[in-house]
Amino acid sequence: MNNEMILRERCREALKLTKSHGADEVEIFAQTVHAISADIEKHDLQTSSSQQETMVGIRALVNQQVGFACTNVLDDLEATCADAVKLAKASPKDPNNILADPVEFESVPDLYDTKAETFSVSDAVEQTIRMIETADAIDPRLVIGGGTFAANRETRCIVTSKGVDQAENTSLFTYYALATAKDGDKVSNMAFHFDACHHVGDIDVAPVATRACRDALGSLGAEKGESFVGPIILAPGAVQDVLVGLFAFQLNAKNAVRGSSRWGKMLGEAIAHASLTVTDDGRLPGGVATQSFDREGMPRKKITLIESGSAAALMHNGYTAAALGVANTSHASGSARSTPGIGPTNLSIKPGIVSKDELIGDIRQGLLVNRFSGSSNPISGDFSGVAKAATLIKDGKLVRPITGTLIAGNVFEALKSLSGVSLETERTFTATLPYLRLEGISVTAE
Amino acid sequence: MQGLLTRIATQSSGWIELRFQERKTKQIAVRNGTLEESSSKRIQGIGVRALVDGVFGFASTTDLTEQGILRAVAAAQGAAQTSASAKKHRIKGLAEASMGMGTFPVPTNDPLDNHPLEEKLALVMKIDDHIRGASSLIVSSATSYGEIQDEKLIVTSDGAKAHIFISIPEFRVMAVAQKDGDQCFGSEANGVCGGWSDLMGLKSPEDMADYAVQIAVEQLGAPHPPGGLATVVLDPGLVGVLSHEAIGHTVEADIVLGGAITADKMNQKVASELVTMVDSGASEHLPHATGTLPVDDEGVSTRKTTLIENGILRSYLHNRETAAHYGVEPTGNARAFEYSDAPIIRMRNTYIEPGETSVDELIAGVADGYYMCGLGFGGQADSNAEFMFGVREAREIKNGKIGKLVRGATISGNAFDVLNSVDAVGNDFRWDLGAGTCGKSQAAKVDAGGPHLRCKGTIGGRQ
Repeated sequence: MNNEMILRERCREALKLTKSHGADEVEIFAQTVHAISADIEKHDLQTSSSQQETMVGIRALVNQQVGFACTNVLDDLEATCADAVKLAKASPKDPNNILADPVEFESVPDLYDTKAETFSVSDAVEQTIRMIETADAIDPRLVIGGGTFAANRETRCIVTSKGVDQAENTSLFTYYALATAKDGDKVSNMAFHFDACHHVGDIDVAPVATRACRDALGSLGAEKGESFVGPIILAPGAVQDVLVGLFAFQLNAKNAVRGSSRWGKMLGEAIAHASLTVTDDGRLPGGVATQSFDREGMPRKKITLIESGSAAALMHNGYTAAALGVANTSHASGSARSTPGIGPTNLSIKPGIVSKDELIGDIRQGLLVNRFSGSSNPISGDFSGVAKAATLIKDGKLVRPITGTLIAGNVFEALKSLSGVSLETERTFTATLPYLRLEGISVTAE
Repeated sequence: MQGLLTRIATQSSGWIELRFQERKTKQIAVRNGTLEESSSKRIQGIGVRALVDGVFGFASTTDLTEQGILRAVAAAQGAAQTSASAKKHRIKGLAEASMGMGTFPVPTNDPLDNHPLEEKLALVMKIDDHIRGASSLIVSSATSYGEIQDEKLIVTSDGAKAHIFISIPEFRVMAVAQKDGDQCFGSEANGVCGGWSDLMGLKSPEDMADYAVQIAVEQLGAPHPPGGLATVVLDPGLVGVLSHEAIGHTVEADIVLGGAITADKMNQKVASELVTMVDSGASEHLPHATGTLPVDDEGVSTRKTTLIENGILRSYLHNRETAAHYGVEPTGNARAFEYSDAPIIRMRNTYIEPGETSVDELIAGVADGYYMCGLGFGGQADSNAEFMFGVREAREIKNGKIGKLVRGATISGNAFDVLNSVDAVGNDFRWDLGAGTCGKSQAAKVDAGGPHLRCKGTIGGRQ
């Protein structure tokens, strides 16, 4: 039997056992993960490892009461099945605790590479060495202080008493490099780049190491910045740090049900400048977060969350769709270790029509921020923190790297006065993001 | 299991470390009166680390048969051998250490299993109702209870045979207040290494809920602080966060070797002479700190490590590899969160020793500044000790008296500059990071705290 068949059998067995302990409805979600990784520390290979685990998560419903239990102790699965039922029986009734009926759909192709089955620890080691050698070839002042190459093969399977019965194999190779540059007493900011792919043939660690190294070199010799209130440009990495968490929170239907999302009450209303359009595509070809089905077995899809500045849709799982009486958007997230949550998949901000250089071109005094280290409160929208790998803009030009500079503002206000979206985009983890120009941001040089 | 692990470790060629772990967790989460989670987790497995030709290899397995464990040993040794050809700097050896032998139950009053699920669920539901009933401005509430119960067996081929039992419960509350379209939140979280009554004795859940509501409501309409350098009095919560996050990570020897700011500062002045900072596997001053562990995950008996003594940097935090590199004793800081994690250097209970000044005197000595309490939303620190923390509760101090609340405050700067600016240390003490989970490629339950401190820091707000 192949991995999918083995896991399916395990899920069906758990479903029967949970039913036999008194559950009305049952969802079994199981994952088998084979993981290989090699880590870099201090510009040297640190360690390499291999792991394998099968985890089974059981959601039991008894009279619309729900309980969840999970385990990797597969010899004693029945105890966990019984525990899920026990937890359900102790819980209060909630009419939104339902399991979805099965939906037919086509699987997303190309998420699994059979060559991943023979990808070895030594292959992972080879990739990490390539990252170090890339840095060495660029500049002797560079150090890859940290990095990882990870190769994961995963089989996900979901079987429910409603008839959902899906399984899928995926392979994913992820790699990142953290680079710093040192020249005498001058130490650069830590620069970070990441990439991922599903196929062995698409692995290319050199560009990741190169970009981290270039950014580190660019921030060498940074000096004190200037204090002002004015425009800043967030590079894609900083957009990820400042905005993506807030998008994920505000557009999460669970937070609308909870009453803690202001956008949840503003569907169809303007929440940002008309130049902002945000989509989420769970079936994006090659996307890091692409899957055929979500944590509840529903087919992944593409939706527009913010359209031309207006809140267009929220992300739902089965619970929130029932609670708000709307269609499920298949955004159930999570693993076999937890109950289904809600989260974006491959989120993207639609690129604009001007280049990054044009965004900078008419700024008299401003800041280009590559990374942000601080807090961005998804409820109040207040953000405040250190601008990392930042460059001062004067009279339309990038003039010098700066350090020790705080930026602060409010995301909700900043999105309404958004004054530019770049044509260029970059992938940061699972999101694809452009450069954004924000106005009226408080910049404080320490 | 201990006999089997001992036999495999004894018969193995070369150095190996075998860690069996069984973890049982429970989680109850309620929002706005609706149960969002009632769950349990049980995991078992063995992590194996092998040292071959001066390189570590790691593998983990859930197959607890002798054959399954031997396969994991072979995989770990294979990974080490593969890496050996590529690694530039080999490990020359592991430092000698006092290895843990025996059974080590962490002191626990009133075991968690004495309290049934129904009691815990009812308490969480009651407190969540309490939050929403406390003010008409509260639009959302969240309350949760979680517990971790660990059993670990750590066996190494050079003598460790430790059987460890640890129990960590925690309780969290959050309130969201809204007025005129403005939303603010308040929160509090407590955790202990101990039992049910140890957690409940720390602060009652009702009092935690009242505090969260007060902070959420009071922030509505409050002004943002102006940015700039200010005199601040930090409460034990922020002192703990500063000690752990901004200083502690920079003295973890693996981070030091990676180029942390402390790399060339041993035995130099790095803080005010009023400052003595410690990281300990024991719960000093007050019991039940969450990072308490008698033996670390390399099987080394933990000890109290003075990091900064009267302002002078005295020690880094070590595992056996870095201790050998520096020629010092291991400090017992190698930790792994789950069986599938390899041990890395982590903190335990990190704190600043109390001083001699009363809290009232600390505040009375500030003409114009801020009283800052607890970690708020967000925060980050780098290995150069630059940090930025969101502050849960920040109030103005004017002419020695605490005044009105400001919202969205952050404190930032270089942590060593902040510690150098300390001009008074409180005579109080509190653990405050008990519900904290430190992230450094894997999770770790840690605690941190100390007394109140008066110092200077850069306040972030909006101009």
